Amino acid sequence: MTLLTLRKIDTFYGPVQVHFGLDIEVRQGQIVCLLGGNASGKSTTMKIILGLLRPRAGTVRFDGHDLTAMTTPKIIRAGIGSVPEARRLFGAMTVRENLLMGAFARSDRVEIAHDLDRMLELFPRVRQRLASRAGTLSGGEQQMVAMARALMGRPKLICMDEPTMGLSPLFVDRVLELIQTVNRDGVTIFMVEQNASLALAIAHYAYVLQTGRIILHGEAASLAHDPRIRDAYLGGKT
Amino acid sequence: MSVMLECRSVTRRFGGIVAVRPIDLTLHAGEFLSIIGPNGAGKTTLFNLISGHDAPDAGRITLEGVEIAGHAPETIAARGLARTFQHGRVFANMSVRDNLLVGAHHRLRAVKPRLPGLGAVAELALALLRPPGVRAEEAALNREIEAIAAIFGDRLTPRLDQPAYALSYANRRRVEIARALALRPRVLLLDEPTAGMNESETLEMQHIIGDLKAGGQTILLIEHKLDLVMRLSDRVIAMDDGAKIAEGKPDAVRQDPAVIEAYLGHRAMGEAL
Amino acid sequence: MSSWLDYTINGLIIGNIYALVAVGLALIFGVSHLINFAHGSVYAVGAYIGWACFTYLHAPLAVTAPTVMIACAGLGVLIERVGLRPLAGSARIAPLLATIGISLVLDQLLQIIFTPDPRALTSPLPNWRIQIGGGTIGALDLLIAATGIVSAGVLYFFLRFTKLGWAVRATAQDRDAARQMGVDTDRVNMAVFAIASALGGLSGLLVGMYFNHIDPAMSFAATLKGVVAQVVGGMGNVPGAIFGSLLLGLTESYGVAIFGSSYRNLFSFALLLLILVLRPNGLFASARSTPPEPLTGSFVMPSRPVRVPRIAVIAAIAVAAIVPLAGAAPYVLQVLTNAWLFAMLAISLTLVAGTLGQISLGHASLLLIGAYASALLALDLHWPVWASVPAAGLVTALLGTALIAPAFRLRSHYLSIATLGIGEMVGLVILNWESLTRGPMGVTNIPPLQVGGVELDNPRAAYWVTLGVLVLLALLQTRLLRSHLGRTFRAIRDDDVAARAHGISLGRYKAIAFAVGGFSAGISGGIAAHLYSYINNETFTSTVSISALTMVILGGLGNVAGAVFGAVALTALPEMFRGTAEYRMLIYGLALLLLVRFRPQGVFGTT
Repeated sequence: MTLLTLRKIDTFYGPVQVHFGLDIEVRQGQIVCLLGGNASGKSTTMKIILGLLRPRAGTVRFDGHDLTAMTTPKIIRAGIGSVPEARRLFGAMTVRENLLMGAFARSDRVEIAHDLDRMLELFPRVRQRLASRAGTLSGGEQQMVAMARALMGRPKLICMDEPTMGLSPLFVDRVLELIQTVNRDGVTIFMVEQNASLALAIAHYAYVLQTGRIILHGEAASLAHDPRIRDAYLGGKT
Repeated sequence: MSVMLECRSVTRRFGGIVAVRPIDLTLHAGEFLSIIGPNGAGKTTLFNLISGHDAPDAGRITLEGVEIAGHAPETIAARGLARTFQHGRVFANMSVRDNLLVGAHHRLRAVKPRLPGLGAVAELALALLRPPGVRAEEAALNREIEAIAAIFGDRLTPRLDQPAYALSYANRRRVEIARALALRPRVLLLDEPTAGMNESETLEMQHIIGDLKAGGQTILLIEHKLDLVMRLSDRVIAMDDGAKIAEGKPDAVRQDPAVIEAYLGHRAMGEAL
Repeated sequence: MSSWLDYTINGLIIGNIYALVAVGLALIFGVSHLINFAHGSVYAVGAYIGWACFTYLHAPLAVTAPTVMIACAGLGVLIERVGLRPLAGSARIAPLLATIGISLVLDQLLQIIFTPDPRALTSPLPNWRIQIGGGTIGALDLLIAATGIVSAGVLYFFLRFTKLGWAVRATAQDRDAARQMGVDTDRVNMAVFAIASALGGLSGLLVGMYFNHIDPAMSFAATLKGVVAQVVGGMGNVPGAIFGSLLLGLTESYGVAIFGSSYRNLFSFALLLLILVLRPNGLFASARSTPPEPLTGSFVMPSRPVRVPRIAVIAAIAVAAIVPLAGAAPYVLQVLTNAWLFAMLAISLTLVAGTLGQISLGHASLLLIGAYASALLALDLHWPVWASVPAAGLVTALLGTALIAPAFRLRSHYLSIATLGIGEMVGLVILNWESLTRGPMGVTNIPPLQVGGVELDNPRAAYWVTLGVLVLLALLQTRLLRSHLGRTFRAIRDDDVAARAHGISLGRYKAIAFAVGGFSAGISGGIAAHLYSYINNETFTSTVSISALTMVILGGLGNVAGAVFGAVALTALPEMFRGTAEYRMLIYGLALLLLVRFRPQGVFGTT
């Protein structure tokens, strides 16, 4: 079953067109990644899904809702969690407060407390830093808090923007494992990633974006050996 | 070949994060050097350090032998260093002509006499009185920026008197480069000049930058479109995570495993090739 | 020594009151990065609602205080919803101007409803005082102290332990990320305005009771004090605002103890400028933070200015010149002369605020400097008026530029606050420097305008002289804008980072622009002094600064013809309705609000 559908999206920043008829489908239960180099329009795709930016044309449908007509808080309440680019934790708030902010749209206090415990089991490192200000955490720890924060909303779909950016190799592996763990628990993942081979190693399906157009898509396993991916990043052979 | 620009152990930290690790860079007269690397590698931060928009925490930067690290950007510009900005910073409410004329600001002589103490007063008086020398200078600058605009074919010339906000994105990028050229730079720093341009526009820009190089312009370029980098560069530096990971001839850098890893990821590298 | 205890207690009490205002400003700045210049008006409204409750309803304090808070919270919500939210996404100066407009409207409504006369707001509390050491504390002092402490406590609890409080903090830190957690940031904004306004209104009530005195002018003073306290503690920093308020209260109290009460405000502005110059991010800012990314081109609304043909300009000047010959009444000539004087101020402000992009909120102080310079040169040094007026222009150019120069490195809101503070300080220095300025007595018997020994004290002559000078100044400025300086100023306005990258040193060109602007404004003040024959430190107040800003925006920022048009329209039009002063300022406030919302580029367009 398709959970998220982007259909013929055209996006503009002022006079600049960023997306040209973008079509993306995310099937329930999968990890789907959107690959592409700098300035290919990846992060803008995230903004479109989250309602932070309106496309000029096209529709975004999620679980029976038309997202293009909804504000960001409503989209979140419809069941989407967000792990923003560069994590964007609330640096002056404690880790605990950050996690509870993730459950802002919920009001079931008992269940929230239960979920908080579950997150601490899933992310044991976070437990030790619960009372620290989020801004004092390392990049890897912040990434885990950001993932836990998104999960606290009990989303059907989590959108992750460059989850491995700026992390040390050790943490990159850990974050990828966690993404897989979360996915096995039934949460669908849509992630934007610059690091192609990493993303393809855990994804089920992938799209490759180049200057606002999908130039390639398919099962992750088949794309991993496709030379066109290299070309999309490093340019064609001279 | 004389050294135009040199960085020695230049370092910049933001809080606990090291944005630029001690980095060395040498740019010779007439050379075309490109810096490549994934997002967040520290390329633009390095540019900001060189152009004076940010000050390094350690290290030396010299422009034609003169120390410039931590100097004000206007001082460095007056020494002959011009730059463009990654996201474009044209003066939106000004005409293309005025944008370009501002680029030539530091070369104003007749209207900006070197008078210690009273320079500003003299400048104001000359601007109001406009003696023949000042008028001749303005006219000469106008002819000069028209010639610079003509470098971009018929992209800018017909729009010289239009406000910059009315231009297309690609044209704004061209205005920015033209504005930097109006400074008659000894060293030109280009930060992603083709970002947001389509293929034909990129190709056009590649020819223009190639012509600049052929004309002997010393250029330091940040660019993601590697085709362009490979065609134009004399040398390439690859950065990742604030550090220089490779340096050398374009082809050698492109084949460098460390570079491929930085772009495509550390795992299963080579598989995707 | 006993009196020192009294001064300390007094300083802390006043500081507590400032804190109630400053905390609200800090909350609002935190979530919306806006200095709410209407905050003092809400405070004044709170005082008047309290007065009405006491006077008409004979309500006890226990009823009055909650009533004031609820009513002011409602007012705050209204301000946010109607005045500010529609401006989301417009030029970054727009919301600031809107709050100034709202403030004018509210203040004038208070004046119209309650008259400008002060009223007594007698505290219903028992009149006992207890001895502490050598000082005494009364019931009201205790109530104010308790209110301050309880409010701080409740606010702490709210921000720390409630869901909405978390949403407020999250929004303040990262608006987009908060929305991605499902926070409705519009509602957060509204809640913050409600809380801030409730505290502000309560503060107004307590201040009124403390001094047993309320009047509509209390509004502006409160905004100023709140802003000062907030700058001291760091913009948007709630604990910082409380600390800044207490420090401000103590500074004032000790200052008054040493130098006398007319120095009270001088100390607050000295503190403000000191902090702005030395630690612009407040006393608690840990590291020097990097300047925010300038939003290129968003300062003024992009627009194509209306090209006024040369023939139309000549025709307009000709028509203006023959008005006195066409049998206009002396009264009409006086109004128009006043308009020409305002136009000189407006072209000065449009250069600084529009062309250079530095929104000055203290421009009237340049009139004061010019007026005093010319009057004192003529009276004390016996200069002829034809020489003293241009000299006043030069003095104003120099002095005005020297005063603002330390603030050149400040940006946008901070620069505006600095100009506001400097403007207030000029008036206070004039008030207190009696040996030079004659102090509160003002300067009397200023000789009329004269050229070559011929006195020009009839309305026609004054009209022509003023018009002639205006035309000259306007032509000079137009010529200036067509030179390389015009484009250099605009480059600084549009993007100072890019300007510096092309060798433009900001200080030099800001100084030139402020000097040219100071010259025009100084001439205007100088002429005015000789026309009025009497001036004092309140001849040109902050109201004049705001009026000039409204004229400039009406005409189109940076537009010389527009500035003259704006001055004539806003000086002459209210006269046609024969409105009193209150209605005139009400019109200005509404004009400002409507312009910002519907035509930010003004009538003639920004240039």
